[in-house]
Amino acid sequence: MIKRSLTRRDFLKVASAAPLAGALVPALKGAPGAAGEKVRVVLVRDPSPLGSGGAPPADIVQKMLDDAVCALLGEKDVVKAWKRLIRADDVVGIKTNVWRYLPTTAEVEQAIKRRVMDAGVSEEAIGIDDRGVLRNPVFQKATALVNARPMRTHNWSGVGSLIKNYIMFTPQPSAWHGDTCADLAAIWDLPAVKGKTRLNVLVMFTPLFHSVGAHDYAKEYTWEYKGLIVSRDPVAADATGLRIIQAKRNEHFGDDRPLPMKPHHIPLADTRHHLGVSDPARIELVKLGWDEGALV
Amino acid sequence: MVQSGGMKKVVVLAAALASLGRPVLMSQPEQSDARLLGSFIPVTAGPWLSEADQVFDAASIFGYIDGAGEVYRSYNMKRLVARRFHKDGKPDIVVDAFDMGTSGDAFGVFTHDLEGKDAAVGQGSTYKAGLLSFWKDRYFVSVYAEEETPETRELVLELGRAIALAIPGEGKKPELLKLLPSEGLDAGGVRYFHNHSVLNYHFFVAEADILELGQTAEAVLAEYSGSGGRSRLLVAAYADPAAARKAGDSFVRGYMPESGDKEGVRTENGKWTSRRVLGRFLAVAFDEATEEKAGARLDAVEALAGPGKAGRA
Repeated sequence: MIKRSLTRRDFLKVASAAPLAGALVPALKGAPGAAGEKVRVVLVRDPSPLGSGGAPPADIVQKMLDDAVCALLGEKDVVKAWKRLIRADDVVGIKTNVWRYLPTTAEVEQAIKRRVMDAGVSEEAIGIDDRGVLRNPVFQKATALVNARPMRTHNWSGVGSLIKNYIMFTPQPSAWHGDTCADLAAIWDLPAVKGKTRLNVLVMFTPLFHSVGAHDYAKEYTWEYKGLIVSRDPVAADATGLRIIQAKRNEHFGDDRPLPMKPHHIPLADTRHHLGVSDPARIELVKLGWDEGALV
Repeated sequence: MVQSGGMKKVVVLAAALASLGRPVLMSQPEQSDARLLGSFIPVTAGPWLSEADQVFDAASIFGYIDGAGEVYRSYNMKRLVARRFHKDGKPDIVVDAFDMGTSGDAFGVFTHDLEGKDAAVGQGSTYKAGLLSFWKDRYFVSVYAEEETPETRELVLELGRAIALAIPGEGKKPELLKLLPSEGLDAGGVRYFHNHSVLNYHFFVAEADILELGQTAEAVLAEYSGSGGRSRLLVAAYADPAAARKAGDSFVRGYMPESGDKEGVRTENGKWTSRRVLGRFLAVAFDEATEEKAGARLDAVEALAGPGKAGRA
């Protein structure tokens, strides 16, 4: 759909993302950006070839993550940086994503795990899980969470996002599909996760920018972006990833090509649920490494 | 027994699908339906061998395709039989055969994604990027190669043709399509659906369900081209004339409150949107070049609805 001028439908879209009176959940106190300051998001990319699993070599992923976390927190020493995120006595759940076509990747999971252990957490106190988080004893006792997943287009929610990654913490995920997943951010107020997330890692190694078919996936609509987006604010990280996905769609299709299913759960996570910041004007984007084709 | 060497998974013949690898517990009639559905799918695809079938219903489909299952649920899906074909060192091929319950919903879910070229399979088909989709009778079938190569492309099409051939009957398209005037119609772009989320996927109207489609209404959305440029026509069918009138009033309040007693309004892009309630139908012409063209489009719908059937509200 090519928009030549503002239509009534465009107005109705904008109006839908405006702050609503009587938000469904209270603001997460102390959430990044709650004070109106800019929220920092780090985009790190590396041009190294990807392995068969879709990730750069493990040592490159570790360096990307380390550089990003240091830049995010303004620390030179990566272990010091992680010690600001994770306490030695924390029980840490690394919420990953096992979707067949675009998983978080073992390289990212292990890079996170290594630094959590460097922060002083014993291996037994660290869990990595996706669909089994509610039954996983580590996640049941978790005092801290690290949220890591790839971004992809999605035929119902618009995109698979960091916000959406916590849907597995609910006993009936499909109960959150109403209004095309508008209120996914409310999941972040559930006891299993509320206030526990220390870091969000949006994997952008080979993002999916267009969905087709029952499985939402065609390799043709992925590209080697080779990036990670890291932030303490999941909404800001998702909003940044979404900008990249949208820019790629426009580049690929040669026109303004919005996602057919509007990913309104991201702006609504900001305006309705106050989970974080979605407005790019309130996001400080720090870019590291390879810049060619960054799209933002 | 058919087995693919490298996977160490139990594989079964299609005829045995109802007894193994099944994520849902089924009653006897349901097993019979699943067995029938599975019987349409070949057991092998060239040198690719099949794994155990997986069977899902509208409640369990999320375990297979996550939230994307909502699309199929919105078309009232009854059952899905998924069969994966494997050959070591080659991309897998996946057949997802949906029993949608009615041919109307099989057609409808097919129209959800019309990207691709006609592959001349079943009663309507598209092929793009390793994905063949088609509908026939009350079934919607997707055949998908996890990576498109010349070899998998041919196998996907071969599988699709075999499945379509095995489905004995043909189904009717929804009657509602008969209310779409043919002049200027992009016949390959007609969408049939039930709820406003799917409407918004194809053409965003409003965040809320201001057309009161719910999940029980039927609706068609069509694109038209002509001297005035591109426009769209939505025709929705409700349970009765009162429901259509109520939906019409809701649409006016939500989308064109300034219209007053008039049938249409000129919107911010300089084009015209008009609506008309015709018995249990509500027709909305979007983005017509002039008020007259919008009215003419609705006149054409009214003529097809027939004076005895429709009757303006």
